[in-house]
Amino acid sequence: MRRRSLAILAGASALVSAFPGAGRKARAEEPPIRIGCSITQTGPYAAPAIFELQGYQLAVEEVNRGGGLLGRRVEIVVYDDQGNPSTAVQLYQKLIYSDKVDLLLSPYETDLMSAVAPIVTRARIVMPSLGANVDAFQGQYPYLIQAITQTPRYMVPFVDLAATRGYKTIALLIQNTQFPQELAQGIEAEAKARGMSIVFRATYPPTTTDFSALVLKAAAAQPDVIIGATYLADAEGIVRAAKAQNIQAKMFAFSIGPVEPEFGSALGPAAEGILGTTLYFPTLHTKGNEAFVAAFTAKFGRAPDYHAAVAYASLKVLAAAVAKVGKLDQDAIRDALLHMETDTVAGHFALSPTGLQIGYTSYVLQWQKGKQELVWPADQATAPLIDPHPAW
Amino acid sequence: MGTLVSLLLLGLMWGGVYLLMAQGLNLIYGVMRVVNLAHGDLIVMGGLIAFSLFHHAGLSPLLALAPVFALLFVLGLLIAAGVLERIEEEGPRGELRTLFATFGLSYLLANTSFLIWGGQFQSIPFLQGALVLGPLTLPEGLAAASAAAFALALLLHLFLERTLTGKTIRAVAQSPLGAAASGIAVRWVRVFTFALGTALAGAAGALVICLVPFQSASGPDLTVQSFTLVALGGLGNMLGAWLAAELLGLIEVFAQYTLGPDAATAAFYLLFILFLIVRPQGLLGQAGRV
Repeated sequence: MRRRSLAILAGASALVSAFPGAGRKARAEEPPIRIGCSITQTGPYAAPAIFELQGYQLAVEEVNRGGGLLGRRVEIVVYDDQGNPSTAVQLYQKLIYSDKVDLLLSPYETDLMSAVAPIVTRARIVMPSLGANVDAFQGQYPYLIQAITQTPRYMVPFVDLAATRGYKTIALLIQNTQFPQELAQGIEAEAKARGMSIVFRATYPPTTTDFSALVLKAAAAQPDVIIGATYLADAEGIVRAAKAQNIQAKMFAFSIGPVEPEFGSALGPAAEGILGTTLYFPTLHTKGNEAFVAAFTAKFGRAPDYHAAVAYASLKVLAAAVAKVGKLDQDAIRDALLHMETDTVAGHFALSPTGLQIGYTSYVLQWQKGKQELVWPADQATAPLIDPHPAW
Repeated sequence: MGTLVSLLLLGLMWGGVYLLMAQGLNLIYGVMRVVNLAHGDLIVMGGLIAFSLFHHAGLSPLLALAPVFALLFVLGLLIAAGVLERIEEEGPRGELRTLFATFGLSYLLANTSFLIWGGQFQSIPFLQGALVLGPLTLPEGLAAASAAAFALALLLHLFLERTLTGKTIRAVAQSPLGAAASGIAVRWVRVFTFALGTALAGAAGALVICLVPFQSASGPDLTVQSFTLVALGGLGNMLGAWLAAELLGLIEVFAQYTLGPDAATAAFYLLFILFLIVRPQGLLGQAGRV
């Protein structure tokens, strides 16, 4: 049960962090350019969102050090939405109509972004958005542009890996919620394109805790690969059920799950050899990544994760578009973004005419000796792939 | 044939796990007539304490059972003596008041867990291997947890039937007035029973977190599941709850295999609704409580 309702009456404990001008070149007489957003700083969903905020903060600091934007200093106006969509809506209303910020950034994650989409669109302000769902970027919200890998692409590199290794058959287990369903469509399309066949497909409710019968049945179809369109708890449940019943497959891969450090602590040796998807990795050979990881680690005392990387990249891309346009004209900034193709720390950034992200992709990681290693695509690998999955 | 036997055993074993989680709730309802909406949060808290003991002190979940049981027992004493026994139960809204109190406790406990352990799912890698018995391959963790469940159920039964304290608890369950007239300190029996039920919930959590990952917000789902079993069994009836738990385990496993997981959850709750209509007192509702 989600406990977002707790936050409703608690009100918006505003936390405004401003960054005093580090850039000497910025002209002091002009007021700063203010970029507004809400971030989940407290509550159950705060952990990834704080990475995002830190990504924004680092990007702003770098923009100011480089002389600011349009010759003006940049500062962020941040409020805490506590993970509550209705709070986020109020805060974006405040940012737009009361604070009158110049630019907007996105909250995290999809349901918060979707909640503020209508008011951002009504105010005609561009917002690089950290929501992976496809439906928000089909033309309905022309001022949103997607700054994170779109959901159907999450596991495309994994299907590519499996096809490259010569595997032909897939068992697909899908959590019956929006994100995994959309993700599974991407898997099925790619599998078809690569001549692989889905020999077993089942959906299960998010409350499922016992996967023993489901995994037995999937194994009866004798698939080469077992893929889960999952979150963390269900990915662990499927791995547990497979190991405890000696179910063998050449590869086990999950969308969300293996990317979380808790996957390793919860499963211990059972995590060994399991494959997963990540949108970012500190070792990626993307443009500027080495400097980004160094600066982020120096500033915040921990390595950036993908939330930090996509947030950092989204602010950098927005700043580049504003600089290109030369003024704070939202329609012109949107057009500049839609036509901008650029390389960021999170990968190649490119948009469809409706703002759907068609550049960013994902990477395949594998748990090896209690650590996550990148194994695919080959040019980004940090360790050779373990294949096939060793006996349990 | 092998598959059929596997499914049968899996269902029975998951039934044991579900019984493990429902037992404390059943005891508390049977004696105190308190519907404890914080039950699931107590299970989660017990599990997360075991998680910390495992990851920070290297304590196996089986060894963690004792400290978790003791800690939750104390917590139960505090809740019962500090909150529940201070609520006026007489009058038309008496039960509603304790219901609200446990609802509030549920939030308090879940958010305390959140502050301590954060919002992420946690679990313990313990007994993850396969138990091979001839042609059958069974999950050893599941087998261990359900064996523990049956052992705990038996111990609880013996405690209630054979010891003086147990008999006192049953006396209070059957007639608080009669028990008080016989010189039993009813209030303290109720406090003790609540603490025992809380400790059982915690112990269940310490075992179940090895099978099912918990996060601080997992509690309410577990409360609903446990309460369904207790209601289906016949509120407060131990044997009834056990039958209901086995029924849930078997239906879930067989329906998951034949109809698919989406239908599996629905199948059990449809049956539950049917029972509420034709036999509202539950499977064994008429046989005496506790």
